[in-house]
Amino acid sequence: MEAALPISAAPDVRGSQPKQVRATAPSVSLPLRFMLTALVALFGAVAWIIANPSILAIYHYHQHVIAATHLVVLGFICTVVMGAMYQLVPVALETKLYSERLAKWQFVIHVIGFVGMVWMFNVWNMKQVGHFGSALALGVGLFVYNLARTLWRVPKWNIVATAITAALVWFSLTIFVGLSIAAAKCAYEATEGLATEEGVKQVVGGLRVVAGVVSRFDAIGAMHAHAHLGVVGFFVMLIVGVAYRLIPMFTLTEVQCKYRAGLSIVLLNIGIAGSVVTILLRSQWKPVFAATVVAGLAIFVWELWAMLRARKRPALDWGLKSFLAAVGMLIPVCILALVLSWPSLPMNQFFGMLENVYGFLGLFGVVTLAILGMLHKILPFLVWFGVYSPHVGRAQLPLTSQMVSERAQAGGLVTYLVGLLIISVAILRESEPGVRLGGLFLLVSLGLFGRNAVKVFSHFRNPQIKPLIAAKPAAV
Amino acid sequence: MSLNPLTEAVVLDALRQVLDPEIGMNIVELGLIYDVKIAGSGVHIAMTLTTAGCPMGESIRGGAEVALLNLPTVTEAQVELVFDPPWHPGMISPGAASPFD
Repeated sequence: MEAALPISAAPDVRGSQPKQVRATAPSVSLPLRFMLTALVALFGAVAWIIANPSILAIYHYHQHVIAATHLVVLGFICTVVMGAMYQLVPVALETKLYSERLAKWQFVIHVIGFVGMVWMFNVWNMKQVGHFGSALALGVGLFVYNLARTLWRVPKWNIVATAITAALVWFSLTIFVGLSIAAAKCAYEATEGLATEEGVKQVVGGLRVVAGVVSRFDAIGAMHAHAHLGVVGFFVMLIVGVAYRLIPMFTLTEVQCKYRAGLSIVLLNIGIAGSVVTILLRSQWKPVFAATVVAGLAIFVWELWAMLRARKRPALDWGLKSFLAAVGMLIPVCILALVLSWPSLPMNQFFGMLENVYGFLGLFGVVTLAILGMLHKILPFLVWFGVYSPHVGRAQLPLTSQMVSERAQAGGLVTYLVGLLIISVAILRESEPGVRLGGLFLLVSLGLFGRNAVKVFSHFRNPQIKPLIAAKPAAV
Repeated sequence: MSLNPLTEAVVLDALRQVLDPEIGMNIVELGLIYDVKIAGSGVHIAMTLTTAGCPMGESIRGGAEVALLNLPTVTEAQVELVFDPPWHPGMISPGAASPFD
């Protein structure tokens, strides 16, 4: 007997040849080790702000500020992004990770690299920053290679693949520029005695050339260009690109206008390229490229709004609300970007601190909050997959939404936003007690996040598996 | 004891035991079941996933197979994953809602 079709709302496919596909994702321990390490780094960074609030209440060209910033960007953001990409890129692009083994090695090298860099920035030993940075760069090379080989397998190229590829290019450039800045601050007298044919001498020679080029630009301009390459080129590009895949998956919707989505990525890329060059050269054209980035983000928000309006899943959980709050934080960050890009801006104390607010809101308001929002979705899924996937169809299993405390998630978001507000005001007022108070709010928020994470991970020890009950007829 | 005859409705009811853990909706209401064929005590279904690279793919496919084999009249169950046409949200059953929405 042949069943009558369509079943549910599915179309008739009896005429098509079915294709057997085996979906593959890396083992859950791979992304989880990145994510847990990242969360430890984030806790460390917030604790650092509370212990030493001057790192946000002074102008950011300071060794402790640079060390703390690298703890956030390399220790938290990069680590979590790398783990998430190893898991999500194969899912989002319907392919398979090239090498899980390579990813495990990259994790070890990355941790050694970022811990050493933060430590050496803090004591301002730039030569050692360069050495640990080279280890980190090796890890990034493995990461980019692994994902490039994964992207190579993508059966159908799309806007998400384009955004991820662009993000990887900007990330590689960020690392190169960062190492060049470190090289420009070092002397290489210890290598004078090396024979010319030795590899080390040739590498050092190359570094000297790069250092000579970087030295032509002012140090703060080079640092700002490096920061924008990493934060906008890598992190924001990924958030925008991956949102075009994850928001439809989580809210049951579709990209409403592919042209619009594509235009947002194109404008972002043009804006990033132009911004980095004009920041480096302190050019009058800075506002034009800042506006191009803002236009790309505005079009992204437009498409996001259209996707959410068309969603089939009406309720938004707290993970998505956190992500959308992060998208909302783009508004003050973009306004600050446009103001601070103005070429004739007086470089006084007020605008210096405004740059601090811009950097703080960019990192903690947009990128970190967006990542925490997505972690509210990803962590329960990974644990669910690790614990319950062999029992599907055999037993009643909890849903991922039942593995978390919504009250803790809601409380976490509110305290986080209050913390952001207090710290932003405190930075402008150069108030260390204010920064410390805001830091305490952030710590409470992270505590609530941690509490939820413990609840999620408790399913490894105490799985909630119940016997099946009789199937009920469809409510359709 | 008399067993219920094996019909498409019985098969679909059994498949409703398999839920997407993130969405909280069963695979029938999600519109993932494309075809049901019943031959004697054997059942063959063609189903899809919300995305071809879904890490849940193998467990959902296996879960659907177990749910079918749990039916007293089924001795053989085959679950085939197909991706043509690709799933889209318009395939969700009209009126279906996640229990947590």
